[in-house]
This record gives sequence, structure tokens and C-alpha cells, in this order.
Amino acid sequence: MIEGVAFYILSTVAVLGALLAVSRRNLVHGVFALLLFFAALSGLFVMLMADYVAAVQVLVYVGAVGILQLFAIMLTEHVTGDDLRRLGARGWFWGLMLAVALPVVLLLPPLLNGEPPVPPAAPQSTARQLGSQLMEHYVVPLEVLALLLTGALIGAVAVAHGPEKDPPGKDRPA
Amino acid sequence: MIDWINNAIAGLSAQEQFALFGLLKILVAVFAIVLPLVAYSVVAERRISAWIQDRVGPNRVGIPFTNVRVWGLGQPLADGVKVLLKEDFTPAHVRTAYFWLAPMVAMVPALLTLAVIPFGSVLGAQPMVMADLNVGILYTFGITSLSVYGIVLAGYASNSKYPLLGGIRASAQMISYEIAMGLSVIPVFLLVGDLNLGQVIAYQAGGAWLVFKQPLAFAIFLIAAFAETNRLPFDMAESESELVGGYHTEYSSMKFALFFLGEYAAMVAVSAMMVVLFFGGWTLPVAGLNQPATSLGVGVLQIAVFLAKVIVLMAVFIWVRWMLPRFRYDQLMQLGWKRLVPLALANIVATAAVLFWQSTKS
Amino acid sequence: MTLNHYLVLSAILLGIGLLGVLTRRNIIVVLFSIEILFNAANLNFIAFWRFGPNPEALMGPMFALFAIAVAAAEVAVGLALVIAVYRHFKTVDLEKLDTLREP
Repeated sequence: MIEGVAFYILSTVAVLGALLAVSRRNLVHGVFALLLFFAALSGLFVMLMADYVAAVQVLVYVGAVGILQLFAIMLTEHVTGDDLRRLGARGWFWGLMLAVALPVVLLLPPLLNGEPPVPPAAPQSTARQLGSQLMEHYVVPLEVLALLLTGALIGAVAVAHGPEKDPPGKDRPA
Repeated sequence: MIDWINNAIAGLSAQEQFALFGLLKILVAVFAIVLPLVAYSVVAERRISAWIQDRVGPNRVGIPFTNVRVWGLGQPLADGVKVLLKEDFTPAHVRTAYFWLAPMVAMVPALLTLAVIPFGSVLGAQPMVMADLNVGILYTFGITSLSVYGIVLAGYASNSKYPLLGGIRASAQMISYEIAMGLSVIPVFLLVGDLNLGQVIAYQAGGAWLVFKQPLAFAIFLIAAFAETNRLPFDMAESESELVGGYHTEYSSMKFALFFLGEYAAMVAVSAMMVVLFFGGWTLPVAGLNQPATSLGVGVLQIAVFLAKVIVLMAVFIWVRWMLPRFRYDQLMQLGWKRLVPLALANIVATAAVLFWQSTKS
Repeated sequence: MTLNHYLVLSAILLGIGLLGVLTRRNIIVVLFSIEILFNAANLNFIAFWRFGPNPEALMGPMFALFAIAVAAAEVAVGLALVIAVYRHFKTVDLEKLDTLREP
């Protein structure tokens, strides 16, 4: 009962947050709607017993990604995030059709087959088990991921840094 | 009396007991411990700064309507009355909804962080922690990372130059130092082998405090903590001599007070985290205080030990604020990314290497 | 709550994400929408793990963690590209960025 209420509240918040994030004209409002969406998904992860993933979701998405996006918005165009142009892209109608059609097609098999046989097991995903799995079965992906993140860090700095304008050796302004 | 309470408690189901004691712990911890601590740390800040600068500081306010002055300890009362009675002015150019939301967002994360901090061993049969999470430390970092939104939101909502600059500065600063902070505690968990904060304390009760085993991690954590709580020498978001007041320039009355108290609540939260991670939490290696309490008196004493450690660290925060000048913004970023992050990474590698060497030796 | 509830929610979120990617002109909003898509997929991973036959293997959380890490890298690089593009073209409007198009 409580679980059902929590599920419906969280999913409503998630859907509304996502809708606002993609539809608001003002980008800063969009980021805050997106944060609501991330937080609601974190709650859903807790409901699915994935507490570690939920904590990582808050840490990475709500904490870091949201701030990065705010920062990028404030560095580009209008600091306040107001987007004064036409919103829709060329061919938005076909995009809308596709965005409606794809989920419907995806949902056909599970909904037509009715309820799947649900084993109501309550898996325990502790951080310790995740850690040992990472070190035993997923070492190579983990190392690849480390390389990817390092590459992304350096790449992001290199791309965003831009051409050097001041001659080197001069004091940079504070 | 105690028998009567015990009988009443025994009559409740396990769930009811959990709900009752959970609520009780939250109420007592927030209203009887954290908020007074916050209020008096403001007084302490003013008295200590006065002492450092060879002034007197606020020493007049005592018990109201009497002539008893207790070294200015009535000051929070006077401050509270003043703050509530001032005009709550909302400038015409602000974005109202966000303007109202920002002070609340600034205050809440600090209080939420305290939910997973074990502030004592046991009182009776109740563990003295509100939520004993398996992923305690990840939760605290997740919530701490939310505290930047209060500042950024205030900067955005105020819709004027200086607050916005403060907000932008805060966003870059806090995300940078969060990385250093997160990396600095990894050696702690390599040693302890668990993310649960209770286990961290149990580990330290069995040996030396982690501040002695991991002094570098503690130093990095402490520096990052100054940046995360926006205290001098890293108060770039506020910097009253450059940005007027930074993010809270447009705020007045109780809304301003919420930012102000939020800063001190964040200090309490981060001090409590440091006590748990590096200073052994509620333990003290004398007189059997290392073990979970068996009687009520010892339990209370252990809470007092925890609070005493928190207060000492708060004093360090205040002391540093009045001893060091503010960093320049590029210096701040240099320190964060080019010094602290590589140092923290080196510390992780070194700790892991030592642990590996120890495991092969035995 | 059954698996189907989560699948429906995830499909709706996927639709909203697609809507943003396909119909908005602002690069930053397109990046938001990509995040929504990532999260919808993560919800599916976790839901299938929770209701699947072999929860001890921890495949779902593991995949979700990797997806989150990759998404974080994507955001960092993506936003750096946005800033670089803005510096060069003085716009974040995707329809103005058509210099590779045949005239």
C-alpha cells in the first residue's frame, strides 16, 4: 500500500520533471526540473532495493551534473538562461510522432503478455558485494572506464580551454 | 518512573518503537543539540574574533528582564528577536519563487547530513544514530553536494550582478573541492573496509584514531571542508569586499538569517563528519569509553564526548577564519585541482600499496 | 509494484527524452534530454535486476553504475563542446550550426 503510493508519487514527479525539463523556455528552470527528475529516480532506485545506485545517482546526477549544466548555461548566451527564439526544431512534428510511437512499440510485448511471473525475492546489494564483483568479474571494464574518465577530463579541459589569447608570461587577472 | 517508561515502551510493537524513537531522536538532535550549537557558534565566532582582534565583543546580553549578565550568553536570543522583527524586504526585480526557495535549500542539506552520523553508542537499547545506512558515507557526500544549490539559486533568483557572480563562483568552487574531499576519504575506507559510519568508529575504537594513521587525508579533508562550507579563506561566493555580499546581497531579515545559520549548520555537519571519520566518533581511549555503553550514564557521557570533539573542531573553523586572508579565485582553483587532487590520489595509491604489502607478508 | 509498472514508467521517460532530443533546437536542452534517456535505461536495468531470476549476480546495479560513470563523462565533454561551439559561433542553436551542410 505504502509502496504503491510512494511509487505513484515518485513516478509523477519524475515524469513531470522530465516534461518540464524538455519543454521550458528558460534553461535554468529546466535544470531545476531536471534535478527533480533525478531525485525522483533516486527514490525509485531505493524502492527497488538498489541503495548504492541511489546514493551514486544523488552524488553524480543531482550533485555534479546539475551544477555543471547550470555553469554551462551561465557561461553561454544569456546568463539568466532565457531563450528568446523559436523553440521547436525543423521537423518537430515527425520527432513528436517518433517520440510517441517508440515507447508504445516498446511496451507492446510486456503489456500483451500480461503479468510476468514475479519472484518476490529481496536481493541485498551491499557495497561490499558490489566492490568484490567489480574487482573480480569486472576489472577490465573498470580499467577501461578509468581510462575513459581520464580521457574525458583531459578532453573537456582541452576543448573548453580554447585558443590562448594572452601572450604567456603576463600576470593573469584575478 | 523509569519502570513506568520501560513498561510503556515494552507494550509497543517493534515498528511503533522504531517510529517513536526515530521521531524523538530527530526532535532532540535538531532542536536540543544542533540549533543551540548553531546559535552559540555565532556568539563564539564573535567573541573569538574579538579576542583575536583585541576587542571586547558582545558581552552585554544576559537573562532577559534581569540584571544578570552571563558573559553575553543571551546574545542568540537578542539576535533572533532582531532578525525576526526586521523588515523582510523583497526587491522588485527578483524571481520571487526561487528567491523564497533559496534560503530553505541552503539550510536543509546540512541538517539532512546529520541523519547518518552516529553521535553516541547506545542509550538503553536504542542506537544513537537516526539512519544506520550501509552506504552512509556516500549519502553524506550526496547530500553535501546539494548545499551548493542554495547559493546558486540565491544568486540566480536575486537577478542582479553581484549575487550572480557569487553563485557562479560557488558552483565551480564547490564542485572542484568536492572531488578533493571525496578522494581524500577513500584511504579511510580502504583501511576500514566498510562504508558504514558505525563501522568506521568501531575500527578506530580498536586501534589508533584515523587522524594519526591518515594525517594527509585529514589535512585534505579539512581544507576541502573550508571550501565546501564557504568559510574564509575560501568564501569566494560571499567575499564582502569584492562582491558586496555575494549571493545574499539582496536578502534581508529572516531569509538572510537562514543563510547565515545554514553556514553554521553546515560547519556543525562537516565537523561531525570529521569527528566520525578521523577522531574516533563518540569513543575516547580512557575509562572504557571505547565500548558501547552498558548504562545510561555512560551513554550520555559518550554523546557529550562526541559533542566536545565537534565543538573543538568548530573552534578550529572559527580560528582559521580570523587568521587567514581570502584566496584569489585562480589560486583557489590551482590549490584544488593541482595540489589537493594529485595529493589525494597519491595518498590512495600509497595506502593501497601498504595494505597490499601487509596482506602478502602475513 | 510489478515489473510492468516500472517498464511503463521507463518507456514514458524514454519518450519524453526522445521528444526533447528530436524537437528542441537548443544544444543544452538536447543534452538534458540525453540525460533523461540514460536514466530511463538505468531504471530498466535496475527493475529487471530486481524482478529477474538471478539477483545475486548484481548485473543490474553494475551496469547502471557503469552507465552513470559514462554519462558523467558524456556530460563533461558535451558541455565543454557546448562552450567551445558557443565561443566559435556565438550561438547554441542547433539549426544555425549547419556549416558542413551542402549549400
